[in-house]
Amino acid sequence: MLKWKKLGQIFDPRDYAGDERPWLAEYAQAPATLIFDDFVRVYFSCRPPRDENGQFVSYTAFVDLDRKDLRKVVNLAKKPILELGKRGCFDEFGTYPTSVIRVDDEVWAYYAGWTRAVTVPFVVGVGMAKSKDDGETFERLGDGPILPYTPEEPFTISGPKIRRFNDKYYLFYVAGNAWLEIDGRPEISHRIRMATSDNGIDWMRQNEDLIANAWDDHESQASPDVIFANGRYHMFFCGWVPKNFRETKARRIGYASSEDLIHWTRDDVKAGITISDDAKAFDHEMVAYPHVFELDGKTYMLYLGNAVGRYGFGLAELEGELA
Amino acid sequence: MRWQKLGQIFRFIDSPFASRFVSHAQSPQALVLDDRIRVYFSTRLEDKPGQFVSHVQYVDYDFNFKQVLGYSDHEVIALGTRGTFDEHGIFPLSPTPVGDKVYGYTNGIARRVSVAVETGVGFAVSDDNGQTFTKYGAGPLLSATTYEPFLVGDPFVREFDGAFHMYYLYGKKWSEATDEHAPERVYKIGHAVSPDGIAWTKENKSIIPDSLNEDECQALPTVIEIDGKYHMYFCYRSMVGFRDGSGQAYRIGYAYSDDLVTWTRDDAVAGIELSDTGWDSEMMCYPNIFACHDSIYLLYNGNNFGRDGFGVAKLING
Repeated sequence: MLKWKKLGQIFDPRDYAGDERPWLAEYAQAPATLIFDDFVRVYFSCRPPRDENGQFVSYTAFVDLDRKDLRKVVNLAKKPILELGKRGCFDEFGTYPTSVIRVDDEVWAYYAGWTRAVTVPFVVGVGMAKSKDDGETFERLGDGPILPYTPEEPFTISGPKIRRFNDKYYLFYVAGNAWLEIDGRPEISHRIRMATSDNGIDWMRQNEDLIANAWDDHESQASPDVIFANGRYHMFFCGWVPKNFRETKARRIGYASSEDLIHWTRDDVKAGITISDDAKAFDHEMVAYPHVFELDGKTYMLYLGNAVGRYGFGLAELEGELA
Repeated sequence: MRWQKLGQIFRFIDSPFASRFVSHAQSPQALVLDDRIRVYFSTRLEDKPGQFVSHVQYVDYDFNFKQVLGYSDHEVIALGTRGTFDEHGIFPLSPTPVGDKVYGYTNGIARRVSVAVETGVGFAVSDDNGQTFTKYGAGPLLSATTYEPFLVGDPFVREFDGAFHMYYLYGKKWSEATDEHAPERVYKIGHAVSPDGIAWTKENKSIIPDSLNEDECQALPTVIEIDGKYHMYFCYRSMVGFRDGSGQAYRIGYAYSDDLVTWTRDDAVAGIELSDTGWDSEMMCYPNIFACHDSIYLLYNGNNFGRDGFGVAKLING
């Protein structure tokens, strides 16, 4: 079992809500890092206040943390990295979540975009955008998604995480497996999947679930975050059980490892991180959406706490090596 | 091209479908079988007040369209389950025979909130001469991609020169809502190729130039080869005012090509115009061109987008 030392909540969006940032009221979801010489840029998705009909939208922005002390905020985005999509487009009501990677002197972002539907609350697709200013602002490649729906993946396609291993791009993502009906409301069940690409734009999908179910036949998996260390690929992800997660508030962090990125052995116990006992802790009810990264010889995990990141994210430091 | 109109051959209200469906027989598409011409069309059920879903049915004719030989009285192809691309209707189904099977390419419809609908191209296969189709997965074969961001639909597929060619439409824009109208769509005709009819490569561009203006909507392409030359019929209209006559209602357009890729538009050559009076005097839309033995026919809808049925014309001079 891995051992994490929790460093506590390091970013709460409510501390920064105000006239200057009308797009930011609460939530800082799905953290993803981009490392600079002096700081670590953490992308997250946030929401302005709900509209008069109680509907929300989501934006992606970033906060820069001091590289020498990640608990210190040194800069916060002045505006979202992308405007919402045009009318009728897949990302008209939100960009959430976003994952980034450096490609030569650009930064490429892979993001889930969502729009509202009628019989289900949302429909999600994965889009791509490029930045020429070190990841401050991005321009879409085009108005549509780079991963279209297919006969094999007919429902939501979301949660992209972009990686580069062995001269190939890997996109880990989740695909809807079924829309369930729980207490009269539609709930999505997601499974973790993968696609590969030589150029980061044209993708070949594996069309297989990577991670076997362990919690429930209709469990929902998210945030497939992969890192290579000590000769193996390690995946931290999160998940929940659609039939009761609204009551239990349970979202958990799981773990799997692989030699080849295709065959994964699940071992959730090894993840080594769970909710805090302290009833006042930001992660007392849930831990979710992990992102693991290495920095200056240490391994860190950013993750969401209660209410799926409504009050921001926290940081943990691995004790020992990721092996 | 010169056409002889054979008139409205299908009247919804006089058909057995009138007892099972509400209205419409849209986008007639022919499948020529050994002993009959099977014509698929989409007809409507009302699922909520003022909201409709399209279902595919068919009617069988003799080779001269003189006699009805039969009707579908069963589900030809199922609509999608909750959350899928074709949950709220299939309109149209475009059949093409491949070996001893019939491939059916569909335009699937699902409702949205900020715009009326989103669409995608579905695929289904029939092993029983087109009586029923089994879907190939729950998702679409083609749907929105980077440069075709919405409303991919209206597929028409044929094998030409050893490859499968799909002509289809894709969305270019949704207009903002105004006091007069809800968001309106603009769509253009695109082209994709495939070695097997399943894995497609989109050309990602509009292949038919506009004749009205850049907001022209082009729909339902249908292509036939005659003596080594390819002819495309389609329908087009203006973005707004196409329902009430204040703009351009659907008309039949025409283009030709030698290579299936580069098309020259020349609507004047279409050879088929509105009638002075009657069922196709205000609008003509959703053409389907096909050969049957030595004749070439054009099925199409008339006024009100095919609310009352469809008609056919016969080519008398290519």
